[in-house]
Amino acid sequence: MGEKTIGLPAGFRDLIFEAAETRRRIENAFASVLGAASYREIVPSTVEYLDLYARGNQGARERAIRFLDRDDALLALRADFTPAVARIVAGRLPDLRPPVRVWYSGSVFRKTGRHSAQYREFAQIGAELIGGEPAGADTEILDVALECLVKSGFPDASVHVNHAGIFRGLVNSLGLEPPQLAEIRSAIDRKDMRALDARLEELGVHGSVRKQVGALSRCVGDERALEEAGGSLVNDESRAAIASLEDLAAALPRWKGRIVFDLTEIDEMEYYTGVMFTFLSASHTAELGRGGRYDTLMREFGAEIPAVGFSFSMDTLGECA
Amino acid sequence: MSGRVLVALPKGRLYDRAIAILGRGGISIPDASGASRKLVLADREGKYEFVPLKPVDIPVYVESGAMDAGIVGSDVLRELESDVYEPVDLGIGRCRMVLAAPEARLLPKGGALRVATKYPRTTERFFRGKHAHPHIVRLDGSVEIAPLLGLADAIVDLVETGRTLRENGMHVVEEVAAVSAKLIVNRTAMKVKSADIRHLVTQLDTVVYEDP
Repeated sequence: MGEKTIGLPAGFRDLIFEAAETRRRIENAFASVLGAASYREIVPSTVEYLDLYARGNQGARERAIRFLDRDDALLALRADFTPAVARIVAGRLPDLRPPVRVWYSGSVFRKTGRHSAQYREFAQIGAELIGGEPAGADTEILDVALECLVKSGFPDASVHVNHAGIFRGLVNSLGLEPPQLAEIRSAIDRKDMRALDARLEELGVHGSVRKQVGALSRCVGDERALEEAGGSLVNDESRAAIASLEDLAAALPRWKGRIVFDLTEIDEMEYYTGVMFTFLSASHTAELGRGGRYDTLMREFGAEIPAVGFSFSMDTLGECA
Repeated sequence: MSGRVLVALPKGRLYDRAIAILGRGGISIPDASGASRKLVLADREGKYEFVPLKPVDIPVYVESGAMDAGIVGSDVLRELESDVYEPVDLGIGRCRMVLAAPEARLLPKGGALRVATKYPRTTERFFRGKHAHPHIVRLDGSVEIAPLLGLADAIVDLVETGRTLRENGMHVVEEVAAVSAKLIVNRTAMKVKSADIRHLVTQLDTVVYEDP
């Protein structure tokens, strides 16, 4: 019996020596940058009530690894950090005196997705800035995130920036019903532009509006690309969102060339309410992390306060380091 | 890691048509003919690297980022519910996915309807849309023979001409989906290797829509 070796369940792994040391080095670099920017660490509980994930990002609830407590209450292994941060901060306001700056590092656990190439334990590292004046907070969080990447060994990292209000404004101006809207979003999300245009035409959407949708679906680039897309948009919400992205870039001249405006990505648009970030490593064709503004999340935890944050996959950072 | 764009090509019935449509888009692959045993094929200009793979594996490769792009049937794509971009419907390999049975309509029976298919998820979604919950039998091939042998009452499978169905005494009950091959692209690759991927998308889009 003693000779039998015991393996690991599918979707889990050990980090041994170099891999563990790489992770430690990255985490230390983040801790140093975040500490210098007045972010303080929190370590949320590893087990939560499943109900926690009924708020905010719904994907986390569906994929949470769940089990029963002694009293049959539904529990879950931590499936997402942001709702835990929201729970902790909302319960301590106003004692914390916003703006509140926090960071975290640890594992989240999710059921395996469609194919077996996926892990069930993911290491994440991230930060949240809760409260504060929104434009300044967006600028600060993006600056801190890029600084963390550079200091942890990703000098070529870039960030694709979008704003949920751009597409939301355009879509609201179409006056479509929810099921049609879902079809339109799905076509944009797949970047199937022919199908999108055909469906919009069937729905009787005016040619000039279809042109605006087309302009958004092609807009990837620097300030000029943004200006071009902005020029074709007529509704106030989209224009205000474009202006806020221009201000964001203007406030961060240090990262010029690293910031790419990408209005084509609308993934997770239900979750974010304002600016949205996707962090990329060009040399590894890898998505390192995401972030953005979610002003409605804290409300679901009983606190009327805006928030912006980012989260990196420590696993991907470790693999690309 | 390669700076070139890695594109998965479907082995089997779509292979020659995929090579042909790339050629018409100005992307020619000298070693693409069956004679070569190379695992990775380069195009003439050296922008892309093509890897022939089993169609059912292609969405997994592209979604995970092991390949940047691929050509694959929408039947496989819907079955795997892959999270990838689908910028161009190539219009090749067109066929229908149908529900077929020995009779032209499905008679309600005492027990649950048994449906044999290579596409269990697509079948489940199709019946869920009708608030029906048949027993789904997953098979790997020769699905059309399952009702004859008493394994199932009906099948969900691809039909090109309908001949195989007729020869096995089956009739189409209803269309489940129209199927054709798509160009699929990994979400991160679209951002990081955008120039070469956009070129591929534009060339194929032009072939399909402006030069049919």
